[in-house]
Amino acid sequence: MSLPILVVDDSAMARKMLIKSLPADWDVEISQAENGVEAIEAYRAGKAAVMFLDLTMPILDGFGVLEALRKEELNSMVIVVSADIQPVAQERVLSLGAIAFVKKPVSSELISTVLKQYGVI
Amino acid sequence: MSLASLSNDQRDALQELTNIAMGQAGASLAALLDEFVDLSVPRISVVELADLPPALASLVGKTNLVSAVRQSFQGYLRGEAIIIFGEPGCRALADLMGFEGELEESGENELLLDVANVLSGACLGGMMEQIRAFTETNGPAELSFSMPSVMARQVMAEQLIDPKKVKWSHALLLEVNFTIKNRNFIAHLTMLMPEEGIEKIRHITDEFLAAF
Amino acid sequence: MSGEAFSFNLAETIVKWLDVGIFVLDKNFEVQLWNNFMAHHSCRKSEEIVGKNLFEAFPELPKPWFTKKVNTVFLLNNFSFISWENRPYLFRFAHNRPITGGAEHMYQNCMLLPLKAEHGKPEAVCVMVFDATDTAIAQSLLQEALEAISEISNRDGLTEIYNRRYLENRLSSEFDRTRRYGGTFSMILFDLDFFKKVNDTYGHLAGDQVLIEVAARVKEKLRTSDVLGRYGGEEFILILPETNQEGARVFAERVREAIALEPVIYENITIPVTVSMGVAEYQAGMASYSSMTHQSDLALYASKAAGRNHVTCYEPALEKLAD
Repeated sequence: MSLPILVVDDSAMARKMLIKSLPADWDVEISQAENGVEAIEAYRAGKAAVMFLDLTMPILDGFGVLEALRKEELNSMVIVVSADIQPVAQERVLSLGAIAFVKKPVSSELISTVLKQYGVI
Repeated sequence: MSLASLSNDQRDALQELTNIAMGQAGASLAALLDEFVDLSVPRISVVELADLPPALASLVGKTNLVSAVRQSFQGYLRGEAIIIFGEPGCRALADLMGFEGELEESGENELLLDVANVLSGACLGGMMEQIRAFTETNGPAELSFSMPSVMARQVMAEQLIDPKKVKWSHALLLEVNFTIKNRNFIAHLTMLMPEEGIEKIRHITDEFLAAF
Repeated sequence: MSGEAFSFNLAETIVKWLDVGIFVLDKNFEVQLWNNFMAHHSCRKSEEIVGKNLFEAFPELPKPWFTKKVNTVFLLNNFSFISWENRPYLFRFAHNRPITGGAEHMYQNCMLLPLKAEHGKPEAVCVMVFDATDTAIAQSLLQEALEAISEISNRDGLTEIYNRRYLENRLSSEFDRTRRYGGTFSMILFDLDFFKKVNDTYGHLAGDQVLIEVAARVKEKLRTSDVLGRYGGEEFILILPETNQEGARVFAERVREAIALEPVIYENITIPVTVSMGVAEYQAGMASYSSMTHQSDLALYASKAAGRNHVTCYEPALEKLAD
């Protein structure tokens, strides 16, 4: 069965960039969300075994999503993908349960490294 | 298509480009001040010059006093960055930069110029990096910056720009807010570019869109 | 085109002779390059400076501030600027205008540039020093001219006290300041009694002399923060910051007496002068300063009605008198 993964970003362009950087031979079922609220809905619907999460978004930002997921006993591997590259932001998302932080703009090398590191591929 | 408009896709691509660039500007500001900086979602608009003063006023709040720094850039892109500081933030800056006690006005101006320079330099630098990485440019895509100067101290945002004195008919307005919680510090970065700059940006975003 | 066509290094030679100060510092503030502009203005040769710590060579430099400035360029990998408007100079160099001068030293703008390999971290910082003395002198002349113009545009040509334009601005700002920060202030509106008769009897030149003399007598009584201006014709206004109605009344009495004490002498003609005065104080809840001018006007009117050469303070009962 394909792995359900969720790409969360308010920018369609950013989602496209990320999806293009995923390993070509990775058997996945991709869903997309435009903001934190949609992300949580998709997560509840079981569409997010792996979640690529942006931080700065309208309505509910990435920090908010991580906090909400933690209350629901986070059952997803969250990889934060963000332009906000402050060390404090990275520490914060990791302490909120994200497994990794990838800085924008993403590249296939960066994504593969992280996925391999956590044994996802 | 009219000069003034960007398609939804173009706007989205530009927003993401700005977002990445602003992330670097935020990180630079954070390193400079040694504080965590909250970044807003960038807003992109093409405004007619006549609408610029009210647009700036709605950005920072009509009745708030602001100070502003301008800095022009030229080269691959040409335009002017305007960095607007909320008034309490100017005083917070002296604190943040480790200056104790009262600063003279020239000292305060110097801080504003330094912070403005870091924001515009990092942001435009970040944009240029992506343009070089993702688009085909003719010749080296580089920018140079002129010395920043204080435009105004403690004025209403609406009074910052007199549209009668500006030669451009449209301006591309990129806005992002940098906020430091508990410090009352907020800075707005906006970039104004003339018509041919808007055309160039539109071209860049198309190349961006085609690349993905 | 490349420099190889010449028997010398093109870029190096230009850097050496450029009429801009150029020097390069490594992370330890050791000087790596020192061009002729720097050498000639500091009277310290390149051979003498290169390899030395900048602050050891120039102990008079503002070390903590400049260290922070340069370190920020290393840290953020971003250029930076220093403007003469905030700091007149980095190095205290003489300027080359001993005759046209006006400046004690060379004003300087500086640009700090990180030097690095294409994708690397900065390894050195290049500092460019621009002579901004011409701009600084021009700006200070312009500033003086603007101040003179603004002074002229705020003054009454005849009496040389403030004019109506300035009074209105000042009343408005004093009103706003008091409304925002609390406290109080008062104003006195006064005019010359029977001034039309002076003009008709002795001529306009005599009238002018009376106005000049009255302005001078009031000016002598002013405290530092008080403002005196000619509101129009023979009408004057005094703005008294931090003064309540009673304080203003006492002050008004002193002014009235000083004016009435002696007549004005104009070409051997003795012209008796008196003034009628109206006092009003700021009250919380007033819509604008024009409420105060209105009230002082009513009080002035009451002084005229009371036989002139008189001071009246505004009270609400005066509103009826006006009808």
